[in-house]
Amino acid sequence: MFSAIRRWRDEVGDPYVLGVVRVVLGVLLFANALRAARELKDGYFGDAFHWPIVPEALVPSRTAYTVLVVAQVLLAVLVVAGYWARPAIMISALAGTYVLCCDRLEFHHNRWALFCYSLLLALSPCDRSFCVAGDPASLRIGPLWAARLAQLQLSLVYLASGGSKLLDPDWRSGRVILERFHLFGYQAVARGVPPALVDWLARPEVGSALAKLAIGTELFLAAGLWRRRTRIFALWWGACFHLLVEATSRVEGFTWLTLAAYALFATPDVRARKLFYDSTRLRGRMIARAVSLLDWLGRFEIKPWAPDAVKTGRAVVIVRRDGTRATGVGALAMVARTVPLLFPLWGPLAFIASFTKGGEANAAA
Amino acid sequence: MLHVGPLGRVVFAACWIAGQTTLVLTAPLRADRAFGFRMFPEASVMEIHLVREVGGARFAVPRGEWNARDRSGQVRHFSWRDRVHDKTLAAVDTPPVFASYGLETQVARLQHALDDVADHIPGDAETTRLGAEVVFRKNGREPGSLTLLSHSRLP
Repeated sequence: MFSAIRRWRDEVGDPYVLGVVRVVLGVLLFANALRAARELKDGYFGDAFHWPIVPEALVPSRTAYTVLVVAQVLLAVLVVAGYWARPAIMISALAGTYVLCCDRLEFHHNRWALFCYSLLLALSPCDRSFCVAGDPASLRIGPLWAARLAQLQLSLVYLASGGSKLLDPDWRSGRVILERFHLFGYQAVARGVPPALVDWLARPEVGSALAKLAIGTELFLAAGLWRRRTRIFALWWGACFHLLVEATSRVEGFTWLTLAAYALFATPDVRARKLFYDSTRLRGRMIARAVSLLDWLGRFEIKPWAPDAVKTGRAVVIVRRDGTRATGVGALAMVARTVPLLFPLWGPLAFIASFTKGGEANAAA
Repeated sequence: MLHVGPLGRVVFAACWIAGQTTLVLTAPLRADRAFGFRMFPEASVMEIHLVREVGGARFAVPRGEWNARDRSGQVRHFSWRDRVHDKTLAAVDTPPVFASYGLETQVARLQHALDDVADHIPGDAETTRLGAEVVFRKNGREPGSLTLLSHSRLP
């Protein structure tokens, strides 16, 4: 127990990915501040019915609130830009929490989660990559204790959400999810979900099964993200789960916030895999270019090769962490597993690749 | 800046985990379950119909609008929506609206809104209490109803 705490406390690694998470959180903080500014234009919340958690005397005046909202917008810009990023994200988190406490009518779990992750990220070296002023190359290693705490926060969110549903008979039976489909199915259709699918989802037996699946998913993710053997599947399953929720419900930025938090589970290193491409072939050059543009987590070192006996005939060859090579659909699966935009495709690609000789089974690679 | 030493990390983490766990476990004690991360807790809908009590009798307040005399006898106009801007609570005499975060949350908010509006209509020298009749369907069940009343506002 003590050795585990010591390992967590003293763990260091490459904080490159933390910069990506910071940028996403910065964008979400910016969107949140803009929403507050728009609402302020329509009227100051303190002039109407509000329900503060803090004493009324601590609710800011219209002028003070206006200053606060403008400050939140500017701080979010600093967070995204990576300039004075850690103090900016810390102040954003504290200011956001304070505003939440000034009117619980405006309380939303996604906003509270955003401020929690922001505060924890402020305590991590999230300012060493994706900075407008250039990345401080001399600081490639940093402490990861706060990032691990943010990961724990994600598990706590899943545990609280899944646990409360498990204890609720209406949720367990599927009654809640079924009624939600009855009430909001038309919104999903308006967003492009096929009507036949929505009708099918609104069937009692499907609703009941989906409720159990949702509860099981949340509880599985709370633990599955931590186990090395289940992590990649948990990340993929969780990504699909949140994208489905995004398509069928209004959750503000919660989907993107959670997917950003998923990046914290990436191994804290940079360019540990290699992508070799045939620079004499258009296909090779195009794949290399696309991967270098989309490789936001810095997973690949991308290089042209001088064709040898193994690589001849291949546009792209990927060398995994363990030195094994992946080509064809195996290489595609490896790219999908590491490139955030393609990650939803990892599941089917890995399934297909598992029938090939090299497979896609080496989870740690 | 923002560097935390080894002991500080352990203390901070212990406080953070204890704090978050407490917030989650005590969520049922708060009417709106705030800070409890209870996503999509219900699929309930509600209708709000306002009433006001004048001299012990209750009168409907269609669409949340009413006229009442002030202390000088002048007739003045009042509107629920002048003070209540929240979309769910402002939906008076409308078709059922979704009770986001659950029925209990919205009922607690409505109770506070009634008290708040009762405190912010000094020009109404007739209304002794504001009230709301709430018709609801919890998670698709048969409709139910309840009545809420603000605190008394006139001596």
